[in-house]
Amino acid sequence: MNAVTATPASHEAAPATVKVWDILVRVFHWSFAACFAGAWLTAESERWRDVHVLLGYTMLGLVAFRLLWGLVGPRHARFTSFVRGPAAIARYLRSLLSGRPEHHLGHNPAGAVAIVLLLASALAAIASGWAVYEDIGGHWLEETHEFLAGAMLAVVGVHLAGVAVASWLHRENLVAAMLTGRKKSPDRQP
Amino acid sequence: MRHLALSLFLAAGALPAAAETPKVLLDAYAAEARAENPAFAGASAERGRAFFTKVQGKEWSCASCHTSAPSAGGKHAVTGKAIAPLAPAANPERFASAYKAEKWFRRNCNDVLGRECTAREKGDVLAWLLAVRQEAP
Repeated sequence: MNAVTATPASHEAAPATVKVWDILVRVFHWSFAACFAGAWLTAESERWRDVHVLLGYTMLGLVAFRLLWGLVGPRHARFTSFVRGPAAIARYLRSLLSGRPEHHLGHNPAGAVAIVLLLASALAAIASGWAVYEDIGGHWLEETHEFLAGAMLAVVGVHLAGVAVASWLHRENLVAAMLTGRKKSPDRQP
Repeated sequence: MRHLALSLFLAAGALPAAAETPKVLLDAYAAEARAENPAFAGASAERGRAFFTKVQGKEWSCASCHTSAPSAGGKHAVTGKAIAPLAPAANPERFASAYKAEKWFRRNCNDVLGRECTAREKGDVLAWLLAVRQEAP
């Protein structure tokens, strides 16, 4: 079901690649990554406090956009097209171990977990960061904010490892796909 | 001699966890400073005051945000947000946790000096902050 392509499947004239990620999904992805990296790098210093806060608010706008886009955006941007239950996630992970990975033209079920966790932990980190900045709550809120940012970094790490593994198993550069928006046509999949 | 230095160093690490008060923290910094330099003759509130108000390597001093009257509140040099007083006499939450004190010394010393503070510098600053009584700013 996930492998259904938007282009007519014609084996004689199948294009080498198909468009999967729309421009807003890609702009969101890299802006979100850049904001998180920037917020992490400016976290320790009071000199960069205003930049850090600005990056947090920018992330809030980005997450709000992504949640909306996940409801009304094009097919592969929509949550209903890629968020799966535990059974589908386990099946996908087992298929990775078996060496014959399930192919998903859009986000695979494990990638979907990273997306949901990142959006949720980003919202929690932004909310706690805002509360710290507004002096609501005390020291424990600072610690919560730092814990949430650390949790986000851990998910980013797992996400990067997952992208590397999936790129290798599927023989497809998924980083390039998130830049160009194009992935190998399902007709060309082995 | 080496064993003595080591046991002092360990004591410095263990003390704040035992009973966390500004005075215990000050003693721990003094013990650590003595372990680093046997000639260390004790924390100095006067050295602490000079250190706190001196503009350091990165055009800020501690007083840039905390002001030179630590019994009064400060103002963030970038965001303009209010900062609660640093002197324990004016704000009992200050230096009541070694973890929190170490975290903020690390962050703020990097902003002001471009490096972490030494145990001697932290002890001197704390000695001065403890010497400050609550007074009209």
